[in-house]
Amino acid sequence: MNAELTSTQGLVPLAAVPLITCGALSHDAWRALALSRLIALGLPTSRDDAWKYSSLNLMQRRDLTPCTDFSAPAQLLSSLPERQGATFVCLNGQLIAELSSGVLPAGVRYTPLNDLFDSPIGSMRARLRADDSAEQRLRLLNAVVCTAGVAFDVSAQQAPVEPVHLVHIATHHGHYPRTLVSLQAGSRLNLIEYYLSVDDSSSVSVPVTDVELAEGAELQHTTLGLAGMNSVVYADLNVHVGKNARYVHRSLELGGLATRLDLKVHLDANGAEAHLNGLLLADKTRQIDIRTQMDHHAPNTTSSQLYRGVANDRGRGSYDGKVVVHQGAAKSDSRQSSRNLLLGPKAEIDARPQLEINADDVKCSHGATTGSIDEEVLFYLLSRGINHDTARALLIFAFTDDVIATLTDPALRREVEKRVLASLPTAALIRGFVQ
Amino acid sequence: MTTNTQNAAILEITDLSAEINGRAILKSLNLHVRAGEVHAIMGPNGAGKSTLSQVLAGRQSYAVTAGSVLFRGENLLSLPPEERARRGLFLGFQYPVEIPGVNNVYLLKAALNAKRKQAGLPEVDAFEFLGLVREKMQLMQMDESFLSRGVNEGFSGGEKKRNEILQMAVLEPVLAILDETDSGLDIDALKVVANGVTSLRRHDRAILLVTHYQRLLDYITPDYVHVLMDGKILKSGTASLAHELEARGYDWVREEAANK
Repeated sequence: MNAELTSTQGLVPLAAVPLITCGALSHDAWRALALSRLIALGLPTSRDDAWKYSSLNLMQRRDLTPCTDFSAPAQLLSSLPERQGATFVCLNGQLIAELSSGVLPAGVRYTPLNDLFDSPIGSMRARLRADDSAEQRLRLLNAVVCTAGVAFDVSAQQAPVEPVHLVHIATHHGHYPRTLVSLQAGSRLNLIEYYLSVDDSSSVSVPVTDVELAEGAELQHTTLGLAGMNSVVYADLNVHVGKNARYVHRSLELGGLATRLDLKVHLDANGAEAHLNGLLLADKTRQIDIRTQMDHHAPNTTSSQLYRGVANDRGRGSYDGKVVVHQGAAKSDSRQSSRNLLLGPKAEIDARPQLEINADDVKCSHGATTGSIDEEVLFYLLSRGINHDTARALLIFAFTDDVIATLTDPALRREVEKRVLASLPTAALIRGFVQ
Repeated sequence: MTTNTQNAAILEITDLSAEINGRAILKSLNLHVRAGEVHAIMGPNGAGKSTLSQVLAGRQSYAVTAGSVLFRGENLLSLPPEERARRGLFLGFQYPVEIPGVNNVYLLKAALNAKRKQAGLPEVDAFEFLGLVREKMQLMQMDESFLSRGVNEGFSGGEKKRNEILQMAVLEPVLAILDETDSGLDIDALKVVANGVTSLRRHDRAILLVTHYQRLLDYITPDYVHVLMDGKILKSGTASLAHELEARGYDWVREEAANK
């Protein structure tokens, strides 16, 4: 497939197309609609404000053909942390039964995404409304070419305690996973996703994830970016949070050549809550961009965002976070914090927190800092006899702790700490402090 | 001449001048401290008390422009801060920093091991070390939860100061400089901190108490009291000088010095 789709035919918005009654939408019809929209809009370019910080040229130079190689590099899985609970492994978007293991917690149902089209389970049309976005056109690209996907549906009867692990592996070319997570009223799920690629892969991953939380539901959602040094990931995550429901996201971006995460959260009903935490580790020549939009649509909604970035060598990162408090969303409470650490003269991190308030009686705060290691804190450690390199390494590590500390799974936390340590040139000096 | 260790010189500051960002703070300061002595450095805000503490501990942002400092006969100013610490100099900070993610006990252990290495001693046994820390924690009336927390993470002002003295108790310095250790403490915390310091008075250790108020000196009686004003020691005396300063303020010291 070629990335140059610039024709201007078929300007009909996806949502406006009259679809078959009762909300059913065939997979083929959906795909055709997505294609016509993508052709009309074209792929994003660096002139689009939404793509200002991201290096699209990497994508334009690469082969985006969906990879159909499903011979599994099983050894990749051994690099994952120890896991309790069920593990689903998708290779180039396809669920691979032989690599998957464990039993889903009671109340959690897995469905291949294809089966959801033409099925009575909810309305796919409603769920896919985010696809029709001029700003996030890669969703359309995913819609056009993704052949398979994973859907989890969690019912209220039982509260699953064990996490569900979802592993995405890219081997070559284009990788278009699609995931749908629906939590029914009062249900809970702990979902941990891993993005991997084979070592020498120059893959381009365009994963799309949709999350829907019904009244009182809670999703703990962790994504671990562990792609190989030459892989590119442009992920899109769209979340709808219902009445008194709670969404907690932690993204740990520790891999890849270029990673972009677009995270859109809609606090749709009274009492909805979302908390986003993220760690960007941009060493070597890595580029990591986080883009969030938090929409407070309803009163008494709460959101927080905590992002920490570390850039070293020629690493680059950005945090572009927008909070919109819509009319009528009174007593909304929103916090945004982006702190970034630059460790070299050529490292760069851009932080851009933004706030748009269209309602009265709201509490909003935001803050962003970018700087080098705090000299005063460094001096404190030196004055205790700690040598300079060790003190510095300790402080870099400690800086990442704000986010790492939000990980509740001990095995996952150890794995992330291990990887953060491994990215520090002086890791050996501080192992004793953190283990 | 005898070689009595009680009288060994610990710190000899001669004509020390220091500046920050081109602004002179210390102006030809002289101070001699011997083993077993407790010296109080008092003075109004902005006199240079904290600068003196930081310069002695090796803070890079201050530039020493003249003078010398000998620590047990060795040129202190040529050593980086970590080397000063390993040789037995300890600074108790006025504002101890919080370092979430770096465990308190690990830092303490690393600090002790760095000092032991310097002295040619093997690393401390982990089990013994924990015993030692627990014992000192009791002295400082510190909660067990301290063991699992990050350095000063979420500590109250009083807890931070207790933690400083705990570190001093574990590291057993030759010279302890306590910078405004009494500031921000309520009376109970002040007593705990003062008792901790008093219990660490030894014949082979010197303590420099840098303080704004005489309050701390009600609990720790110094051997000498010095008034630091305008970047130098303007007057020295015994413990009674602290009371006089409390009663009369500082201005008279300057006038007296000018009339000399």
